[in-house]
Amino acid sequence: MKQHEYVWFIFAMSGALACAQSADPKRLADPPADAWLTYHGEYNGQRHSRLMQLTPENIGHLEQVWRFETGQNPAIKASPIVAGGALFITTPDNLWALDARTGKQRWHYQHPRNDAFHIGHRGAAIYKDTVYLTTPDCHLIAFRAKDGKVKWDVTIADSKKGYWSSNAPLVVGNHVLVGVSGDFDNVPGQLKSIDAETGKTQWIFYSTPPTGSNESESGGATGGQMWTTGTYDPELNLVFVGTGNPTPVLNGRVRPGDNRWTCSIVALDPDTGKLKWGFQVSPHDTHDWDANEVPVLVDAEFEGQRRKLVMQASRNGYFFVLDRTNGKSLLTAPFATVNWAKGIDGAGRPIADPAKEPTQDGVLVAPNEAGATNFRPPSFDRKTGLLIVSAQDGYGIYFFKNAHGAYGWAGADYNVAGRSFLRAIDYRTGKVAWDHAIGEGPGTAGVLTTDSGLTISGDNRSSVIALRTSDGSTLWHANIGRMQNAPVSYELDGKQYLIVGGGNSLYAFALP
Amino acid sequence: MKAISIVSAALLGASWMPAQSPSGGARDSSQSPAAMPRPKATTPQNYPAEQVQAGAQRFAAQCGFCHGRDAAGGESGPDLTRSELVASDVRGDKIGPLVRAGRPDSGMPAFKLDDADLNAMVAYVHNQMDQFATLGGGRRTVEPEDLATGNAADGRAYFNGAGGCSQCHSASGDLAGVASRYRGLALLQRMLYPSGRPAPAPPKAIFTLPSGQTAAAPLVVDDEFTVTVLDPLGARQTYQRDAVKVKIDDPMSAHFAQLGKYTDATMHNVYAYLDTLK
Repeated sequence: MKQHEYVWFIFAMSGALACAQSADPKRLADPPADAWLTYHGEYNGQRHSRLMQLTPENIGHLEQVWRFETGQNPAIKASPIVAGGALFITTPDNLWALDARTGKQRWHYQHPRNDAFHIGHRGAAIYKDTVYLTTPDCHLIAFRAKDGKVKWDVTIADSKKGYWSSNAPLVVGNHVLVGVSGDFDNVPGQLKSIDAETGKTQWIFYSTPPTGSNESESGGATGGQMWTTGTYDPELNLVFVGTGNPTPVLNGRVRPGDNRWTCSIVALDPDTGKLKWGFQVSPHDTHDWDANEVPVLVDAEFEGQRRKLVMQASRNGYFFVLDRTNGKSLLTAPFATVNWAKGIDGAGRPIADPAKEPTQDGVLVAPNEAGATNFRPPSFDRKTGLLIVSAQDGYGIYFFKNAHGAYGWAGADYNVAGRSFLRAIDYRTGKVAWDHAIGEGPGTAGVLTTDSGLTISGDNRSSVIALRTSDGSTLWHANIGRMQNAPVSYELDGKQYLIVGGGNSLYAFALP
Repeated sequence: MKAISIVSAALLGASWMPAQSPSGGARDSSQSPAAMPRPKATTPQNYPAEQVQAGAQRFAAQCGFCHGRDAAGGESGPDLTRSELVASDVRGDKIGPLVRAGRPDSGMPAFKLDDADLNAMVAYVHNQMDQFATLGGGRRTVEPEDLATGNAADGRAYFNGAGGCSQCHSASGDLAGVASRYRGLALLQRMLYPSGRPAPAPPKAIFTLPSGQTAAAPLVVDDEFTVTVLDPLGARQTYQRDAVKVKIDDPMSAHFAQLGKYTDATMHNVYAYLDTLK
């Protein structure tokens, strides 16, 4: 233990020196202790901090160090990026650079008013000394990190056609990977790679055929948007991204078949955008269950064999473990209340029960549209082998009749009720190790775990909570307003900071 | 152990009455407007086309994800073209305060908007209500006749038998006339999980006192750390959970458990039965 800490300390210090001013893309694979360089903190999407200063024993002494209030309505739904002593936080149309030690504002960018959807924003990205922001009206803007000077501004999709963006880009090498959203129009799913230096488009991956294409693989479906941040394996040189639901959303009759590659985990070559493999977690979805949840990368034993795994707790209520070298299923198991599948097929995919497709008189379906989980990122704890997920057991009613048509939503559905938990899933079995109730309705807070055995997240009222990772018991809480983002942690000048958003404020906690 | 209620029936009634108030034509806000006959604007209002157009854009950007770009309902927000509040609004006198204050209880945030934007949105929503009124149906809606596929006799048997509904409810008691108060989708939602107001059976916090006696109070809200109840005067009192011995008795738990027991057939049958209780 002691030796491990020492090695980590040396490693962290060397990282701190190498990364004082900028975020060299090479560092993204091994982020230093004084930074949080990507949405997930690390390429593997584990959202796990190796910092050891905050422990189950001392977490009760945490104190608020600073608070930054945006002064605007929207809640903070973004995960901060931290590099070179600066912290970058976003809301739709807004990017702030703060001093990571004090929370004081260094600069603020406000995008011109626009009429795209403003539902939330997940965060910025950094490459060397450039910070990137997507906007609701589908611009990608590059800023000089130190003073916010705009370097370039490009359009990544046509917001007039129904696209918008809330995406925190993923930077791999000199590729800035940006996704968009668009559920209310029948538009193809697209992920773009933008040159980090110039803003030029390098490639586009379409999860459903682009407009005008003769491909029929999707069975006529559009959609499959990639609106959350993917993960990356440098050894395989593969990016893993979850794709969204097909459109029209609730009317499955006009898009027969599996509707590839909607509701899927896809593995892409970041240099070309070519699909290496895809795995569909919800073939022929008719319930708006995007598979955008984080594809978490773990190198670990599975059934006695060392493997490169990718795992996802998906909105449809099933937990998937795949071999990420080839996309083959190793485990599929429900982690929340589900009633829509008849079983699991030979490839590890749930078999949708046609009786649970939306009908004119309504069907009662679990989970509901909000899903068994959703945008809020989970965290993987290596020591216990637990994936901690903000989960919901819920029911909804789903309707479709011909009068609802075949455009956009094309149906009606209503959440009936739901109960939420922080739920620890053992990746080896898919079994739930513990549940920690957080309230009614769907949760909104992501999860952070630490090497010291802490799980940090939020409940459905107004508290940030710290649990013991091994058993889910409560260790600490603070009333900060409803948490709608995922916590991050970094260490500066020997002090470990915990950063969480509550309402429209960002809070920094540390030991006194 | 003897249970004593620290809230008198009269006071309890008084404190819950403002939320119930079915009189005066104001319909309870928790009901889905989609299943109701379309309300008509009480005061006809005309807005300039440019203002409606500007409102359409602002509405789509700020409100469209939850309420639908056409204001006819979206991922989490109700259909505003069937809203009683919109129908009774005159040039933003009701919509304005609601939008600026939000509805934190049901997840709607407060919006800071300048008057021009707000007025444009009000114009758009009124215009959409008028437009939809002439459509007679439209998308994204569930009409009462869509739901009429169940068998009322089977539903009655399930209600009194396997479903266990009659353990808490009675067709001649609390549910007498329920189909006159709720129709279509609103009745179905109320049947599945009557979470809004009026709450038919509010949850109770049951405190165990040092003496061993128990005291019950209507629960306002609780979480892992605190319990807030109404005291006998109708005021809110909040207790730290670690300072008291308290248990929550929530009749909604039975409704939640029942969601896992319904088949689609039994759900439609019970609905058909309740729909006979006019």
